Parts: sequence; structure tokens; C-alpha cells
Amino acid sequence: MARLIRTEKEVEGRYEDVWLVVEEDALEQWPAGPREIVGREAPRKTGPLRARGEARYTADIRLPGMLHAAVLRSPHAHARVQKISFEKALAAAGVRAAVGPGDVDALTDEPGYQGQAVAAIAADTFRQAVAALELVEVEWDVREPLLDPEEAVRRGQLVGETSHYERGDVERALAEADVVVEAEYRTQTVLHSSMETHQSICEWRDDTLDVYISTQFIWGIRDEVARKLGVAPDKVRVVCEFMGGGFGSKNGAGDHTYIAAELAKRTGRPVRCALTRREENLAAGNRNATIQRLTAAARSDGTLVALTGDFVNATGWDGWAASTDGPMRMLYDCENIRTTLSPAKLNTPPMKAFRAPGFVEGTFGLECLLDELAAKLDIDPLELRRLNYANSTDDRPYSSKNLMECYKRAEPHWQRRNDVRARSEGPWKRGVGLASQVWYGGGGPPSYAWVRVGSDGRATVITAMQDIGTGTATAMAQIAAEELGLPLDRVDIVLGDSARGPYASISAGSSTTPSMGPAVRAAAADAARQIVEIAAQRHDKEERVLSLAGGKVVSSDGGSWAIEEVVDLLDDAQILGKGARGPNPTGMQVLTFGVQVAEVAVDVETGEIRVERVAAIHDVGRVINPLGASSQVEGGIIQGIGHTLSEDRLLDPASGLTLNQTLDAYKLPTIADVPEIVTELLDIPDEHLTNLGSKGLGEPPIVPTAAAIANAIRDATGADVRSLPITREEMLRALDEARKKEKRGAPAAV
Amino acid sequence: MELLRPSDVAELDGGVFLHGGTEVVPLIRDGLIETETLVDVRGIVPRGIDGTTIGAGTTLGELEVDPELPDALREACRLAASPQLRNMGSVGGNLLQATRCWYWRLKFPCRLHGGDRCHAREGEHREHAIFGNGFCASAHPSDLAAALIALRATMRTNRRELPVEELYRLPTQDDREVTTLQPGELILELDVPRPEASTYLKAMDRQRWSFPLVGVAAARTGGERRIVLAGVAPVPWVLDSPEALDAATPLPGTAYKVEIARALVRRALEAVA
Repeated sequence: MARLIRTEKEVEGRYEDVWLVVEEDALEQWPAGPREIVGREAPRKTGPLRARGEARYTADIRLPGMLHAAVLRSPHAHARVQKISFEKALAAAGVRAAVGPGDVDALTDEPGYQGQAVAAIAADTFRQAVAALELVEVEWDVREPLLDPEEAVRRGQLVGETSHYERGDVERALAEADVVVEAEYRTQTVLHSSMETHQSICEWRDDTLDVYISTQFIWGIRDEVARKLGVAPDKVRVVCEFMGGGFGSKNGAGDHTYIAAELAKRTGRPVRCALTRREENLAAGNRNATIQRLTAAARSDGTLVALTGDFVNATGWDGWAASTDGPMRMLYDCENIRTTLSPAKLNTPPMKAFRAPGFVEGTFGLECLLDELAAKLDIDPLELRRLNYANSTDDRPYSSKNLMECYKRAEPHWQRRNDVRARSEGPWKRGVGLASQVWYGGGGPPSYAWVRVGSDGRATVITAMQDIGTGTATAMAQIAAEELGLPLDRVDIVLGDSARGPYASISAGSSTTPSMGPAVRAAAADAARQIVEIAAQRHDKEERVLSLAGGKVVSSDGGSWAIEEVVDLLDDAQILGKGARGPNPTGMQVLTFGVQVAEVAVDVETGEIRVERVAAIHDVGRVINPLGASSQVEGGIIQGIGHTLSEDRLLDPASGLTLNQTLDAYKLPTIADVPEIVTELLDIPDEHLTNLGSKGLGEPPIVPTAAAIANAIRDATGADVRSLPITREEMLRALDEARKKEKRGAPAAV
Repeated sequence: MELLRPSDVAELDGGVFLHGGTEVVPLIRDGLIETETLVDVRGIVPRGIDGTTIGAGTTLGELEVDPELPDALREACRLAASPQLRNMGSVGGNLLQATRCWYWRLKFPCRLHGGDRCHAREGEHREHAIFGNGFCASAHPSDLAAALIALRATMRTNRRELPVEELYRLPTQDDREVTTLQPGELILELDVPRPEASTYLKAMDRQRWSFPLVGVAAARTGGERRIVLAGVAPVPWVLDSPEALDAATPLPGTAYKVEIARALVRRALEAVA
């Protein structure tokens, strides 16, 4: 039965209260452990298509008569357009239309960062559009950019407001503590670097708008575009069949979509607006830099008595305050906590969500601080974390938490420490570090799926969700196949088109599998029930003795019939199952947990750092596809290594212009930088969470990586690295500081 | 834009020379080279290895796998760029690479572009120079150039023969060029004497596909040692002795390069001792 509820909805750590119509979740969870298909490794169903280059990404779409847009972006970090003239540009070869400030909300005459869209041109070819941009005449009034986040906070120039959080009596706890450590940590601005740049093709058909877009949220784009353009949501169709990376940067429609839609309207032709790599590095979003001034206080037995954090997010010209303070509030059992978080408004490109926004940055600070505290207390870092294990950090119980089990599973990796250190040789010092992870990932309603079974005995899962490259399409097929008792190769999935399936969840906040999986299972169960009903009538059996397994309808009192034999009766009739995601458990926190153990080698003479091994132990509920899951963990850790060691979006300190706009200058990790990665997932279903017990895994693996590596570096060298990225310059600086400290008599090494 | 494919050096008449295209094509795309004529020189520049002679059209990938070549040269190739780039890029082109200085690449009106200031000196310069940086703080990106100079290699162009180090000059107020190559001059061949021992060590921001923060080539030839650094000056930098590092003039953000250079120079000299 449909039920109307008032509930808290969480995406990327942000909560809002919403009304939701949900279906009751009638199915019992499967018993824990691998089943016939769910819980067993399945290569992704679209793998061959991708490998052969046949997968059609948004970047591959060319509609008949399509025009190409090029965007005039502000060459200044802060400026005002005094005058703009398109006269010459409109006369150029191939040019069909031009739009400027006032024509589209996405275009501005007061750009607040380099790369902000000011005008755009549509032409027959992209080359012609780019050439015509050169002919747009603009008079700029260039202004002084504000680039220093702390100066912005002093001036009160913020995106939103400074938030304050406090529990307990921090001052008293600090005064009574045996040990207090204070440190300042900094993280840098990093770029999502999606392989497929942000892009859309818009085509008006009468009053209907088709949007082909590289996106993480088909339905969100539909609603956002409909709202902004003032059309009915069903007049907007959104398509994204294959997606080349988003990492949080493709949750919204983006300027390019509105530019394409307006130019398409003016020309009566489909218009493609695709960012170049340089535009991508300027205007596609970023993980904002942070400054974190942290304090931890403990009793000599290791009990944490207070944590404080003053956080400044260099949010940029726009965006929101990612929860850099989240881990401090949520990871440990500590009665007295006080945080402030100020999102600085700067003349720099706006942040966007980036794989566990805030928590990646905040976990770096907090988990390094914990190791500094452990050193001062002379307590084993793993033991310190166990001593302060949280059973709840607010009034709500966890739906499930198995972090203690993760710690246990981490022990063999942690115990390699002595062997690893003993392999230090000459200038190469080796060490081991660990860090814990907390993050969201419960997903939620609404999300729907349909399952169709035809007389050929094949099933198709139909839902207008997107697979953003994580392999969720394969996971959904596995769930349906499991419930229908069909081999995986007899289940297809249709997705990626708002006109060809029901509403589906955003692929952000580690939510696709926990949101969609239960709906798919419910739809498959609905179809399975109908197959059983037909078989019961056909073979004169009671329904309760029939079940589906191994491609057959099996009777517990003997006899079995191939499913295709049963449904062959259907002829052109079809079995249609439908399913909806049930509600999250009321009054509970649904969170994911984990721990990573990193091993590093540091050349103390040249500052070179090699990450040699990372063991990742995460608790994300039931695992649907262990192969897809380990790929996610590997991807998260590799992205985390880039964040830790080499990636850094650099600005010219005078002009605020981005200096590394290309992939040779912005240094992502290469395959040669990838260590041995050991993935261990607990695979314990969350008994309170839906008919699956699965949580999301997209974000958890990147959360603890930086801190684990930094702690390993401290273990290896005694140097406190507190600033990301840990370049050779930062490594050598920290080593130098450690040597000076040692000279002054304080022990440098842990 | 026209593309010429001459079959004889004598036919050369202006234009921008194109070989592997890994450098020239991006520079044209970014508007850093403006030309109406591209000259595909693959038909006239020798390619291949014959004893100590190396055709300037030989790719880095071909040099990297030849066990007869000195270690410094092979290592400099192996540690350069990516396999894809090494399979296209030629030795001659590599020696003529433009700096990776972001200000220059983004067309800030810097001194190398004829302007009146070096933006890197006051700006973001962590990848920049520690020597010869008074006028322009750019860093020379070629690993091979340092190796070849350490190996006392010479080169033959269509106009002259010269030691590889004489290909380079520090830019000045009056002449902003970083090479001595004249218009229409084309590198044809190199002669690389066999040393008793040689090595190339490289510090990078990641394990592969990165220009040198510091590259150190060292070779012992006829009992004499020679050390040349990459990535530390607007041109490859010959270090007269390890102590010459004391004379470095790092910027605030490049001081760490001196420390790296000290360690790598010591290791390189040990390797060729």
C-alpha cells in the first residue's frame, strides 16, 4: 500500500525534510552471504560494448542538423562587461545565433571567476563557433580578485553563513584533559577531471525539449530544466545512456545545458554545447581547499574528552558548505565537541560536490590529529580508535555499524608494521598508517523499477536511472536475475532515458545501489509471483510449493519446468512486475564505515613518496557484485592517492587565473602510481535497511586514503605532513622541521 | 594552413618543421606557434641508430630499447613522457621543446613572449628554475638534452656541426630565444660518444608522464666526469662540480629543488665513479 510519510532525506551529507509517498517493503531480506548470482562476481554487462568503442556516450551523439556552441568565458577572475557587441561575430562564416548576458540566466555581465560564462555562439561547426568568439567585442572593467579565504572570512564575504556546532562543555574538558594536541591542516583544490567533459545537446520538438546530457541525475535535470525554463516537467525528456565520469560534478544541469537550450530555441536546430578540457578545468567545479585548525584533548588512558575544529572552506564564487566538520562530529565517542565552519566566497571557480565532499578533507585533518594524539599518549593508533569507538553520536541508533569488525580485519595489515619498517634501506624509510572512515550511503525513496518477462523467458529491467560508470546496471540485473531464478545472461536492463522508465534516484551520495536495488528486487519479485501463479494453474499445483531457481519453476513436491516453457504460453502477452523503494528505517542513522591501512616508502633525501600497498576494509552492508565493488574501492583509492600526493589546481596569486588547465600540468596519478590494493568488504546485510540490506560504496573508499598515507609517512619518517598535496617540497619541508625538532630535544619519531 | 613534404633538405624554404607532432601540434592549437606552412620533415631527417650516430628522426621509444646506447640516454628516454608520446616524439623535436612554464603556455605577456616581466618570479613557480633565472625563471623540460650534453654529444644540422650544449642560450633582453638555431636550420644527426659509465636520475611529481622537477645526467668519458641538470634553468644546465650547487639562486618556491639536486648529483656521481 502506498503510504504518505514525512521523512528526512539525505544526499551528500545534507539533510532536508520532505513528504514522500512510499510503498511498503513487503519482502524479507535474503539470508546473509553469497547467493546464486547476488554476492558473486559478475563482469559488467556493458564491458564488451565499452571495450569495442560501441557504447554511445553523450559525447558520441550527433543529431541531424546539429549546431555547435562555443562559450565566451571570462578571461578575468573578477570583472564587469562594460560593452559587448556580436555584430562582427554574427557575420562570420557558419554562425547561426549568439546569446549574451540577459539572454540566458547562465550568462553574466559580472563574472566572479575566470571561466564564468558570459556569451555563446552557435555555428555549423565547433571550429566556426570558436573562430566567431574571437570576433565578439567586449570591453572589460577588470577588478581586483579576492583569493584569500581567511581574508574573505574576516570581511564576512561568505557563501551562506558560518555554522556553529557544540555539544557538552568543551572549555571544561580542555582544562581537565591530561593531553592536548593542536595542529593546523590544509587541503588543496582538486578537480574532478571527468574523462567525458560536461556537455549537453538540446533539441526542441514543438514544445518538448530533449536533453542529451552527461549527468548523474536524469530526473533532477528534468525537474531543474523544466523549472528554470518554465515548462511542464513531462515536456522535458532527459537521456544519458553511458556516462564518462562525474564524481559529483554532474548532479546539476550546468550552464552549458541552458546555453544549448536557448540557442536551440533561437535556431530551431539541435545544439550541442560541450566543454573543452580547458573549460572543464575552469568551470566544471572542484573540491574546495580547506584550512582546519583542530584540537584534540584526552585523558592519559586515551579517552577523548574534547575535539574542536575551526574550518574554513575556500568555497569559491558559488556552491555550498561541504561538511568538513562532519567526521569530527560523527566518528568518535566524545562528549565535548565544538566546530565552526565558514564557507569563503572568493573570485575562484565554484566548488561542486566531489566524492564525499567535506568528509575527504575533514577526515584528513581529524585522522592525522588522532595519530598525533596517539604519539603524544604513547598509545597504539588502532587501539586509540577502539578506545573511543562511538555507539551513537546523536540520539539516533545506527541502522548497522560494524566498524569494530573492520578494525579486527585490519589487524593483520596493521601488524605488518614491524616488517615494513624493517625493510627501510638507505634513504628509503618505510612505514604504515591507518585511518577510519564514516560517511552516508543509505540511499532512499522514491525510486522505481519495472521488470518485463516475455514468452522467450528473458527478463528486462526497465528504470530511468543512470549508470555513471560504477557498474550499477550490472548490479541491478544481478538482483533481478536472483529474484527470478534466471541466469544473468537472460536479464537485460534498459536505463538512461526519462521517457523510457519510471523515476530513479540520483547517482550521488553513494545512493544508486541502496536506492534502486530494493525497487528492482521488488519489481522482480512481483514478476516472479505472477510466473508462479501461471505455473500453478498450468500444472495444477499450489503456489506455495513453487519457487523459481536455476531458470526453472521448481515444485517442492517434485517436478520442475523451464521458465521459458511456462511463459511460452504467453504468446504476445507479457508479465509486468513493478517495484518501489521502501522507506529508510525511522529514527535511525544509516551510515557506512571502514578503515584503510597504507604502507609507504619515503626517500628522505629527495622527498619522493611511493605508496606501496593499501588495504581497504569497508562495511557497506550486503555486497551485490564483489567484482564491481572492488573496482569501486580501487578507483576511490587511486583518486585518493592523486589528492594526497600530486593533484593541485594552481592559481596565479595576482590575477586569480588557473595555471594548470591541461592534463599534462594538472597531475592525476598514472597507472605507475597505483599500489597493491587489497579490498575486504564485510558483506554483512544491514538488517534494518530495505529488502536488500545494501548501502552505497561510491564514496567511502576515497574518504580515509589521504590520512592513512599521511600517517604512514609520519610512521616512516617522524615528519608531520599536514598539508595536501604532499609534494616533494612539502615532504622535504616536513622532514626538515622534524630534524630541527629533534635537535631541540623533542623526539621526532613516533 | 599548408603542409609541405619535401624530399630533399635543399628544398627547405621556411615554415615550421613537423616530425612526431607531439610538441608542434599542441603549440599550434594553443596559438603559441603561428604559421601558414607546416613542413613534414620525416622524409629528410635520418632515422635510426648506426654505431655512435643517431638520426634526429629516431623516436625516443627506439632509443629506449637499444641496449648498445649509453645508460644515461636510454634512461632519459625511458623516464620521459608516456609510451604513446615516446613512440611518436623524435630526438630532434625533443631537444627543441618549449618550456612548460604555465605563464608562457597561457600566453601571459612574459619576457619569453617579448614582455617586460617574469610572472613566475612573483607568482606560482614551484616547477621553475634555480639557475640562470634572473631574466626568465622558466625551466627547460628536456631529459634527453641533459643526457646528451653529459655524454658530450655533437649534432649536425643542414648548416653546421656543433656540440649539443651550443644549441642552447639563456634568453636576454635583446634576444629572447633559448636556442641558437637559425630560421630554416634543421637538426639531422647526432653523434654520441661511448662513455665508460653514465646515468640519468629524475625527480618527478608522479612516477611517469611528468617533466623533470630535477633531472641529473652524469657521464664519465675519457676519465672525465660531466654533470648536466634538466628542469632547473631556462636551458639544460652544465654543473662544473657538485659544489656549484651552492651558487644556485632559487626562488622561494624552488629552494626544494636544490636539495633534490644535491642528493641526485651525489647518487649520479656514485653511479659513474
